[in-house]
Amino acid sequence: MATYDFVFDGLGLRNWCGSSGDDGGGMTSMSQLLAQTSGSDVEVSPWETPFPSMDALHEACTAFPQSRELTSGLEAGFLAIKDSLKVVVDPLTQPLSWALNEALWVMQAVPWFIMIPLLMLIAWVVSRQIKLVGLVVICFGFLGFVDYYSYTMQTLAIIFVCAVTCVLLGVPIGIAMSRSDRVQRIMIPILDMLQTLPPFVYLIPLIFLFSVTEPKLYGIAIILYAIVPVVRLTDLGIRLVDPDVIEAADAFGMTKRQKLFNVQIPLALPNIMAGVNQTIMMSLAMVVIASLVSAPGLGVLVLRGIRSLELGVGLLSGLGIVLLAIILDRVTKAALARINVSKSR
Amino acid sequence: MTDTEIKISIRNLYKIFGDDPLPALQHVKDGLGKSDLLELHNHVLGLNDINVDVPAGKTTVIMGLSGSGKSTLIRHLNRLIEPTAGEVWVNEENILDYSESQLRELRKHMMSMVFQKFALLPHRTVLQNAGLAPSVAGQKERQYADEARKWLDRVGLQGQGEQYPHQMSGGMQQRVGIARALTSNSDIMLMDEAFSALDPLIRTDMQGLLIELQAELQKTIVFITHDLDEALKLADHLVILKDGSVIQQGEPQHILLNPAAPYIEDFVSDINRARVLRVRSVMTKTLDAAGERAGEIDHDDTLESVIALSEGDTSRSYRVMKDGKPIGVLDMRKLVRALVPVAQSDDPDSARLSG
Repeated sequence: MATYDFVFDGLGLRNWCGSSGDDGGGMTSMSQLLAQTSGSDVEVSPWETPFPSMDALHEACTAFPQSRELTSGLEAGFLAIKDSLKVVVDPLTQPLSWALNEALWVMQAVPWFIMIPLLMLIAWVVSRQIKLVGLVVICFGFLGFVDYYSYTMQTLAIIFVCAVTCVLLGVPIGIAMSRSDRVQRIMIPILDMLQTLPPFVYLIPLIFLFSVTEPKLYGIAIILYAIVPVVRLTDLGIRLVDPDVIEAADAFGMTKRQKLFNVQIPLALPNIMAGVNQTIMMSLAMVVIASLVSAPGLGVLVLRGIRSLELGVGLLSGLGIVLLAIILDRVTKAALARINVSKSR
Repeated sequence: MTDTEIKISIRNLYKIFGDDPLPALQHVKDGLGKSDLLELHNHVLGLNDINVDVPAGKTTVIMGLSGSGKSTLIRHLNRLIEPTAGEVWVNEENILDYSESQLRELRKHMMSMVFQKFALLPHRTVLQNAGLAPSVAGQKERQYADEARKWLDRVGLQGQGEQYPHQMSGGMQQRVGIARALTSNSDIMLMDEAFSALDPLIRTDMQGLLIELQAELQKTIVFITHDLDEALKLADHLVILKDGSVIQQGEPQHILLNPAAPYIEDFVSDINRARVLRVRSVMTKTLDAAGERAGEIDHDDTLESVIALSEGDTSRSYRVMKDGKPIGVLDMRKLVRALVPVAQSDDPDSARLSG
């Protein structure tokens, strides 16, 4: 006899369970096996009362599902909606595949003697600091020297596309959150979930949805992981804009749209840029995990280091990611500082 | 005040802060006070049955201590705050019936506002800040630059248009705030404790600037302050608020000489009356000003200047002149009596007003 027989008996559900618990077909429980070997019913002490889990209840009533039926049910459910989901999601995300493919092609097709000066120029335009330009030269020079140039460019291409997509999607979401408390209440749990859910977990349904060879698979994974800070900080930045200034804008008859573009976004820009910086850092962190699902770049080398225990490759490619992170961080922070100086109060 | 045109007229205005203001409004109309309303119904009485007429082309000062509802009141004039009940008439139109776009037009062209904390846009230059109103109306910088520069020059900020607000001191920032209000070319200027955040010397400067500008432009100014000296200095029409109700309103000299409530008496008692009171408020009106007089004084002189003129001799009396014509007589004894607040009550003549 199972522990929780009384529940079903008490509720009068015995008929729904079919026959009584002990001659239920299929699985035989451990206690039943024990009972068979010892030839008598096992005395279950109250101390060993099992938690009323799905499996324990299944023991008492075979019609009650087991927990593995739940997980397989989830899987079956996902597979059932997969095709219709794909019809919607596939075309929506297709531009991401194209963008990633194009960016990867461009970054590798442009020869190094054009690419590195171009990156130097970007660093200069954004930061106006000669030291940073020097840092860019040293880092890319080193990575090229150890023959990681093409891997670095692949990683850079992926980060570029994903960070831009994050900003394009994240800033409007952040603005919507800042304007409506209801949108904020809905979005915050979603953002919390995206931030805490282990990235591997949402790789699994993505693999079901798209083929592993499609770039958008890892693109989506990176974007989902990295979009959170730019959304949060856009929302925060706009909400932190001095209410006195907003009142002045109202008092001079600005429309909502004028207020948004002429007051709120410019004043929130330092916070938004801090969010962009974090988003870039997080997409870089995700690059290694994305390599599990065919993302090219330095992450592939890190994985090779783990898989075949090539310590040197792992360390060197890890160092490459760190160098890339330093450059991207310093350059975006320098841009942020310039915004702060010219627009501080 | 009957001879002047009324620009803004506030009628039976109530504002109650809380979740469910309408039932609370009924309690207030039934006579519940501010503290009782908060205690029994957990609603805050912001404004209680306000009726104020703002004369055109004059400075109306609304004075009260913090929590008296003065900042709430001024925000009703351009509907930054929506009232619970009542009417606000501007140019014969009830602005509470306005649609959003009508309201924006009102704020763009009819009313400008100056704020206590300046509220300049930190990412725009001083010139762009001064030109906020035309830029909101869609003008490009080169279109409004001349107008904005003109007003910046007028408030004493020549050649500083390219600076950013954070590079300026508080007093200069508020000058930008005033230039911004003037550039909008609106008839009505709302000034919410505009000088309260400035230190005393700069505040005096700014008051002087405002008086000068007002003599030149004759805007309809509604000025909020908690400072009675400032109120008396600027006001043509003074409204005193306490706990969301108007306690007394009228010509400032009149209020000073005839405080309607003990609350105002307390207020008024700390004032240097000799500096604030004018001859016209204490003189005896008579067209027959002939006879032995120690000299002639203007009706708008302060008592302080008359005391200096008389060298402290209380036996003299002066002929009071207005536009070169005698309009009354001021006896020095009467002047001295007027300097003492309590002595006023038994002197009915001083209650009479002129001009």
